Amino acid sequence: MKGLLETVVRGLGNGSVYALLALGFVIIYKATKVISFAQPALMLAGAVAVSYLVEVTGFYLAVPLAALMIALLALGIERVAIRPMVGRPVFVVAIITLGIDVVIRVVVNHYIGRDVRQMGDPWGFDQVSIGPLVVQERWLAMLAVTAVLVGLLFAFFRYTRYGLAMRAAAYDQETALAQGVSVGAVFALSWGLAGFLAAIAGMFVGTGQGVEQLTWIIALKALPAIILGGLDSLGGAVIGGLTIGVVESLFQSYQGDIAPWLGQNFAVVSPYVVMLLVLLVRPYGLFGTREVERV
Amino acid sequence: MKRLIGYIAIVGLLSGCGMFRGGESSTESTAAANAPGITSEPCPLAVDKNKGCIYLGTISDLTAGPFAALAVPITDAQKAFWKRVNEAGGIGGKYEVDVQAYVRDNKYNPETHRQVYNEIKDKVLGLAQTLGSPTTAAIIDDLKANSIVAAPASWTSAWEFEDVIVETGSNYCIESMNAVDYAVETYKPKSIMAVHLAGDYGADAAAGAKIAAEKAGVTFTALETPPGATEQGRAITEITKNKPDVVIITTGPADMATIVGQTAAAGYKGRFIGTGPTWNPALLKSPAAPALKALYEQSSPGKSWGSDTPGHKAMRDALPNVTPNDGYTSGWAWSYPMKAALDKMVAGGDVSRKGLLAAVKSLATVDYEGMLPADAGNFAGDANAATFRQTLINKVDEAAPTGVSMVKDFYTGSTAQGYTMDGPCFQKL
Repeated sequence: MKGLLETVVRGLGNGSVYALLALGFVIIYKATKVISFAQPALMLAGAVAVSYLVEVTGFYLAVPLAALMIALLALGIERVAIRPMVGRPVFVVAIITLGIDVVIRVVVNHYIGRDVRQMGDPWGFDQVSIGPLVVQERWLAMLAVTAVLVGLLFAFFRYTRYGLAMRAAAYDQETALAQGVSVGAVFALSWGLAGFLAAIAGMFVGTGQGVEQLTWIIALKALPAIILGGLDSLGGAVIGGLTIGVVESLFQSYQGDIAPWLGQNFAVVSPYVVMLLVLLVRPYGLFGTREVERV
Repeated sequence: MKRLIGYIAIVGLLSGCGMFRGGESSTESTAAANAPGITSEPCPLAVDKNKGCIYLGTISDLTAGPFAALAVPITDAQKAFWKRVNEAGGIGGKYEVDVQAYVRDNKYNPETHRQVYNEIKDKVLGLAQTLGSPTTAAIIDDLKANSIVAAPASWTSAWEFEDVIVETGSNYCIESMNAVDYAVETYKPKSIMAVHLAGDYGADAAAGAKIAAEKAGVTFTALETPPGATEQGRAITEITKNKPDVVIITTGPADMATIVGQTAAAGYKGRFIGTGPTWNPALLKSPAAPALKALYEQSSPGKSWGSDTPGHKAMRDALPNVTPNDGYTSGWAWSYPMKAALDKMVAGGDVSRKGLLAAVKSLATVDYEGMLPADAGNFAGDANAATFRQTLINKVDEAAPTGVSMVKDFYTGSTAQGYTMDGPCFQKL
């Protein structure tokens, strides 16, 4: 039982990183109806920015500074590369974001160099006891920071004018425009928020093990998370991310004993298996809006 | 849109590659008609314009693949090695060697490797470097069919059985046999676990560890783990759960550090011995550093950057302004057999691919200028006789240029000594 709970905590820790990334995907999708494939690069850029800033400002200042830098970068990308494409097919814009992802990664790889860059985080691999459980501090930090960020984000959408504007634009762009909402600002804000969240996620990915050129691949695990939760559901993104993290962790710990016939490393594909199963049963995700098309 | 995401997720996962190509040179020239890759005209960067030129190709992981951190230093060291050879009079006083005109990036992708190999194969005499086991496997049949000699940047035991491959140092299988023998002698373990990547890097080492552990009567388990520091949860769980006395680890450096760091944090107190490519000096700055210093040793097919041999000194002099990295050491050391074979080919008068292959087959020793024992360059006998069986053990040492210093000099363990190399080890795991 103790082992199971520790496995779940590890899964929730890693899952909160997936949740932060998934939230970025969903926020952009809700605002613009486009899946932004630039999220992996923004995540990597955030982690690398922290690894450089930490030497100057210390860790706790480096994280918000890096997140703001990446938010500004995302704003810039939206203004230069995405805004001119408004009205074009979403498929085209999605492909543009793929190109942006590659360009950013090539630049960021230059700053990563050939070695692993460290975050300089205070947690390392240190462990802490909670009752009988022994878990890594960084998993608790991931979970706590994600909880706070998700709380702030939901409060932002619920209680602020900009949050209301974003919800209105997500619901019906033309009507929102007619009511005086600047849809362009909503687009920009969504990219900025996604960049901010991706940078925090990147920092957490880099804690303990550091960040290298191939670290971006982890961000792809947010894709099964958003499919699981529903493409247009913020709550779904959070639950999807945590679920993927826990499923993966459970497979890592127990699949070898319970189902060895699946092969030694089934945990690697388990998020995608979950995604396919959910797609079969609920093609719009657990919390997504069912698409209705009248012919 | 969902379908698109699915496709892209799968494509992204499978490829993990970039879209840019590096290592292009504009100095390509056509080879002489009589022998591919040999011209009577001087090399583009000739020291002496009166000498002819031997072109050697390089296919390496230069930009987007997982081994770029090693591959770029390897390639740079080889450029410096051949520059030194040319400055010292070239090959037999008649030729200089060019390794810069035909450098190609394989992105660690076998298909790309074969494609760029086809682009350059008619313009080069041999390959100064072909990086990776699966990538080189994609061209090995063509290398053999055309008698193209190639120096591999990988240590799989499969190369012992290929005449056209001039490998240097012990393979992963022998290296791990020696690592286990060292561990048995030093730590008296009752159980050994091999944590390894799939394929002819990880599985080759795990097979060697298995052979040695069984010979020593030690309980052995093998655990295959996927690449990626965040994917090591299962390996960490299994090590902390089963508590083997010694873990022989064959992964990338970040994966290794994650496993060592997290298992140590969870209270594991056994020993880790990692194969050569598990180490990277940057790990000393990672949170795993204390655990690495306490629990980790590196088995290695060759001496590290700061070693005191004429070869190491020549290398350091030729690469004055680089951050020390044993990728340089490997690239430099791997070039000696090719130089010895080229010297012998030119001296013998048959300056051609067949002449080079014949020269390789007649090499019983190679002068590594002290970097390796001369019999590491034995290509004359059969696979079993020619297999070099000495490796060494390093420990983490912050004062050393590449973060490791030697604790046990070149040795052959009893398992490796008595082992008959009758096929690639990874097939026996």
